[in-house]
Amino acid sequence: MDSTEPKGTKPAQPQEARTSSLMARGRRSWLWSLLTGLLILGLIGTIPFQNDVAGLILWTNVIMFCCLAQAWNLIGGFVGYAAFGNVVFFGIGAYTVAVALQHHLSYVFGLLLGVIISATFAFLLGLPVLRLKGHYFAIATLGVAVAIGEVVEAEGIGGPGGEASLPAPTFGGLDTNTVFFFAFILLSALLLLGTTWLTRARFGYALVAIRENEQAAEALGIPTFWYKVAAFTLSAIPTALAGGIYAYWQQFFNPSGEGGAFDPSRSIAMVLMTFLGGAGTIVGPLIGGIVVEYLDNFTLISFPTIHGPLLGAIVILVTIFLPQGLIRLVQELTRAPVALEGPEAARVSYIHRIGEGVRRVFRFIASQGV
Amino acid sequence: MTSDASNGPAIPLLEMREVTKRFGGLPAVQSFGFSVRDGEVLGIIGPNGAGKSTLIGLIGGAISPTAGTILYQGQDIGRLSPHARSHLGIARTFQITQPFAGLDVRENVLVGALFGRRNLSRNEAMRVTDDVLERVGMTPRAGLKGDQLTVADRKRLEMARALATNPKLLLLDEVMAGLTSNEVDQAVQLIREINRSGVTVLVVEHIMRAIRGVSDRVLVMHHGRKIAEDTPDEVLSDPRVIEAYLGERYSKQHQATQGSQTEGSAEAIEDEWKQGLA
Repeated sequence: MDSTEPKGTKPAQPQEARTSSLMARGRRSWLWSLLTGLLILGLIGTIPFQNDVAGLILWTNVIMFCCLAQAWNLIGGFVGYAAFGNVVFFGIGAYTVAVALQHHLSYVFGLLLGVIISATFAFLLGLPVLRLKGHYFAIATLGVAVAIGEVVEAEGIGGPGGEASLPAPTFGGLDTNTVFFFAFILLSALLLLGTTWLTRARFGYALVAIRENEQAAEALGIPTFWYKVAAFTLSAIPTALAGGIYAYWQQFFNPSGEGGAFDPSRSIAMVLMTFLGGAGTIVGPLIGGIVVEYLDNFTLISFPTIHGPLLGAIVILVTIFLPQGLIRLVQELTRAPVALEGPEAARVSYIHRIGEGVRRVFRFIASQGV
Repeated sequence: MTSDASNGPAIPLLEMREVTKRFGGLPAVQSFGFSVRDGEVLGIIGPNGAGKSTLIGLIGGAISPTAGTILYQGQDIGRLSPHARSHLGIARTFQITQPFAGLDVRENVLVGALFGRRNLSRNEAMRVTDDVLERVGMTPRAGLKGDQLTVADRKRLEMARALATNPKLLLLDEVMAGLTSNEVDQAVQLIREINRSGVTVLVVEHIMRAIRGVSDRVLVMHHGRKIAEDTPDEVLSDPRVIEAYLGERYSKQHQATQGSQTEGSAEAIEDEWKQGLA
């Protein structure tokens, strides 16, 4: 790697430069993202051993939202289609489990059935709505989610007025809260692995190409429509699973209204968390989910009277100054100086690099801010 | 696959028969017919609004014809989607360049290699990408983002991406517009090299000098119709062509002076056109 050596042997560094992959910038950055994500989940995974039931419930909720954001990332982050109705898959997953358990079917069967129904629904819904673009797509998906919630309420699915009640869960003597907590942790970890795979796979390349320029993607041989349908369907599956886990965990829930299974604010949360963390990145939605949900709970407990406005103010500040998410900030901090990429960069001391990074972050915020 | 010589009555690589495209009531292309022979470079010129880009859209599949048939290797492709045509070996560039803005140059080209005519694995696609970048001379720019490039590099990236799909027929939509004369020379050189490697090329262009330097035949469009089709020099001295570009008055003057060479008229057209731009 001695770059001062005069044109002797074939230089080694072009070979390395070639390993740059489509989305994971720099070598092995996907690995760092994955490890960071697993580390975060591992740390959160110690919570059940602290014998704090309130904390356990809070964090179960946090991880559930992380799962929803991670699932939304597939269509919203990678393909760049602002699906504002993904809560519909959550609701379908929850109500399928409710109805299945009311009919004395097994829980796992209910979960799988919810996944199948949600995925089928996403596929069929995708056929018309994924021909729409931008705001039209967002409104169409939002409308469908609201409509399905109304149907569940009007038809009295799961109970009168859609008020579902489920039998109490038992898992052979295990603490049920802990079981549900780890179910969400497991789902989140699977999503983390799946997203990492996506950033390295042909399928993921196609999705990102569509996001960056759909017309060009199509002209270069990508069947854009079917890839969009596939991504939309894929994002429905973990969302339905989360809904199914949520249903049995809660035992009682409504179709609409605050905290309802079809509550559109859940869709908004998925979007917000993904963008705050970093849309289309591996750990972004996980971090975004934790930050938003935790801030939400923190402001609710510490400042109950101004909880809403305070959270809103934080969201406004973040979107103004960090439109590309927290992950982008980290990338900006750790990136080697532009002029010094390649072997030169390795010689720059870490102290110097951190100083450069901090300055770059300030410049970045200043340039991105309105 | 592609044969260099076009001797014998072989099926043309691409053939358009009586193709019409209307936008609303307005015809952009009117009962248009022409064919592209395997292995040639066909230039298409015409004044602004002649329907050149519509023609590219019709062949590439972004625009579907109102009437008529488009045959590619004898197969009717008029209703195929752009990606299906890409798999058959038709690649295009965009007049208004369409880079994947957030991806770097190498990644832009990689997408073409991964999904075009050949179904490559990631590692194979990487190799193809590096070859293509080398061919078009963009290796030093490989790390720049799609939206950090100069006009000339954006145009080159368009060509590189299209090449990476391994096309049989390459449609170039004004890849030389907005380039300096030095850059135009380089582009002409590159198109020749691409053609020599066995790719049939359709060049849509405004710049006369470029089209003469590169085309075996030239076709002139005006108001969505074909008004001339011949060798470059013949076409450029055709009074109808001069009239289409410069108006009737100039055309009559030109005929009066008779002796003026094709060279002169080509330059005059180009000068006039440049003035029109200013």
